[in-house]
Amino acid sequence: MTLFLQTILNGLVLGGIYSLAAVGFSLVFGVLGIVNLTHGIFVIAGAYGALLLFKQFGIDPLVAIVPIGLVLFVTGYVYQRTIIQWAVSRASLVASLVVTFGVAMMARNGLQLVFGPDVHTITPAYSFMSVTFGPLRIDVVRIVALGASLVLLVVLALVLARTHFGRAIRATAQQPLAAELSGLNVRNLHGLTFGLGAAMAGASGAIIGIVQPFTASSEVAWTLNAFIVVVLGGIGSPAGALVGGLLLGLINALTAQYVGPSLTQAAMFLVLVLMLLVRPAGLLGNAFGESR
Amino acid sequence: MKRRTFLQGTTVAMMAGVAPKLAFAQDNMITFGGSVPMTGAAAETGQNVLQGYQCAVKFINEEMGGVEIDGKSYQLGLNIFDDASDPARATTLIQRQVDEGINFFLGSFGSNIVLPTCAITEGAGRIMVQAGGGSDLIFTQGRKRVFGIFPRASLQFVSSVNMFTSLDPAVKTVTIIYTNDAFSEFQAEGARASLDEAGIEVIDYIALPAEVSDVSNVLSSVRNNPPDVLVCTTHDQTSILIARQMVSTDTNVPMLYQTLGPQTSAFRDALGNYANGVVTQAYWSERAPFSGDYFGSAADFAAYFRANFDRELTYHMASGAACIVAYIEAAKQAGSLELDAVRDALAALDFECFYGQVRFTDDGDGDASLLGPLLIQRQDGEMEVIAPAEGASADPIYPAPTWEERA
Repeated sequence: MTLFLQTILNGLVLGGIYSLAAVGFSLVFGVLGIVNLTHGIFVIAGAYGALLLFKQFGIDPLVAIVPIGLVLFVTGYVYQRTIIQWAVSRASLVASLVVTFGVAMMARNGLQLVFGPDVHTITPAYSFMSVTFGPLRIDVVRIVALGASLVLLVVLALVLARTHFGRAIRATAQQPLAAELSGLNVRNLHGLTFGLGAAMAGASGAIIGIVQPFTASSEVAWTLNAFIVVVLGGIGSPAGALVGGLLLGLINALTAQYVGPSLTQAAMFLVLVLMLLVRPAGLLGNAFGESR
Repeated sequence: MKRRTFLQGTTVAMMAGVAPKLAFAQDNMITFGGSVPMTGAAAETGQNVLQGYQCAVKFINEEMGGVEIDGKSYQLGLNIFDDASDPARATTLIQRQVDEGINFFLGSFGSNIVLPTCAITEGAGRIMVQAGGGSDLIFTQGRKRVFGIFPRASLQFVSSVNMFTSLDPAVKTVTIIYTNDAFSEFQAEGARASLDEAGIEVIDYIALPAEVSDVSNVLSSVRNNPPDVLVCTTHDQTSILIARQMVSTDTNVPMLYQTLGPQTSAFRDALGNYANGVVTQAYWSERAPFSGDYFGSAADFAAYFRANFDRELTYHMASGAACIVAYIEAAKQAGSLELDAVRDALAALDFECFYGQVRFTDDGDGDASLLGPLLIQRQDGEMEVIAPAEGASADPIYPAPTWEERA
């Protein structure tokens, strides 16, 4: 029983990180309809940013979330308003897939040129601590990561639900034409949404950097994870990302413990295929889909 | 002068000027082709191997004035491209170089890349000497022109088991963790076979996927059933992940032994004092008592490398340099750069250099009795050789202190 509970705990903690890493991807997919293959780059850029701030100025990665989020928000906004906007307006939405893929390749090599090919980790004072709950044990960094993920997801949910900005984003996602007729600057809102997605990805990267080693090439895995989370949980909402992420974490942990650690990815993809067959919109559906 | 005549004359003049240079370049340059991971998942070690190649070329060209083979003097050149840790990209690069007429190839890093690329060079009748692939599949599929500085993966664990049996208290149980790739799995299988033969029980044999993001559950199993030695035949990034999670979840074993990873500066940076006590393999040590015509002694190689290159010296640099030294020595002994002659000379090679006594088995991998791994343990921040006993610079610390004691 202890092993089972430990496995569930491990899965939930891992799932929290998956959720945070995927929510930006989900938002951009839901609002703009863009499968952003640069998403993993934002995650890893966040990790490198946290590394830089930690090594140069001793800033804790959890504090570094704020400046990293701001920088990536601006980067994401400019990126969407220029390259992606140009690609979509001159060709089609599908062109964004190719463009983001190309940019991801260039950015990956750019990061490697700047930071080198070596494996990096961020090691704040609490890196090697653990807490116990009776017979259960979990490392502090993962608890911190889970807590930070939940806080950021709740903040995002509140922003989307309670603020004018959030309402504007939702309106743009649900009925772009009606939103534009109502006086909303849809292009600007698309840029802001993309910026928000990039900021969330960067924030998750700062947390991921303290949980596991990373290199520039780690970005591929985080784009893939985000895609699976969105398919599992549903598109466009923090709740969907949370459900999808936790589910993915649990699948990963239970498979590793009871089937075999080598089959975790096989199990993840099996569930992905099943979900696409049975409930293609994900468990919570498309947050904006019904109105479209 | 008419325009056409002018163009014809200029073209002839240019050709006349260039042609001798081309001939000179071909006649006096030995070019080694290949690819290494300069980017991507294996880039850290790939860059190490590349600098080993560059170090040997620089030394031979600049310090030795090139090499003389059959009375002719040659300079060495590298034609190495970035395969981005991607086997598909590597095969394209190697095929192109084969088509361009490169005869002598150096290996990439990682059995998953070396395996398909050496199949191309072998099929084209070219030679590959490599220090990046240890999978048994490279050496057991009947190839005659592929040579590895390292012994095949399944034979890399014999010296480790010898150390285990000499420890006090004796090692009785081992857990093995490996990733699902051609090198890691073969090395794990070799470890299990060697341990079985020595009567040491393997209580858990755990496969991880090739890309690992979390090992919490694996470590839960290790805590529930702790072995005397936890052996991880994993690559750098996974080794760091396992070690970090072992520390943070206070998963203690008397010995943590990771075949790849602890040699790197990334491991030391990620673990700090916790890196002390971790055991690993190294195929070369600058304290080893070997010397020869190229570079001089092992210590001389280390000094030359540090004076000319910026990366932290690991055995991968020495292994990379040894590939080129083996090629040159074989060509000298053959007295020719003909493919068949160099191949036969490589197969018969048996000479000492800074790296050790270089000799290949009939299957092309490094002779395990001469080129097998040394066992290294980080002690107070220094990488000490702990086995084999005759070359040891320190005694093994076993059982290792708990993580809490190492903080």
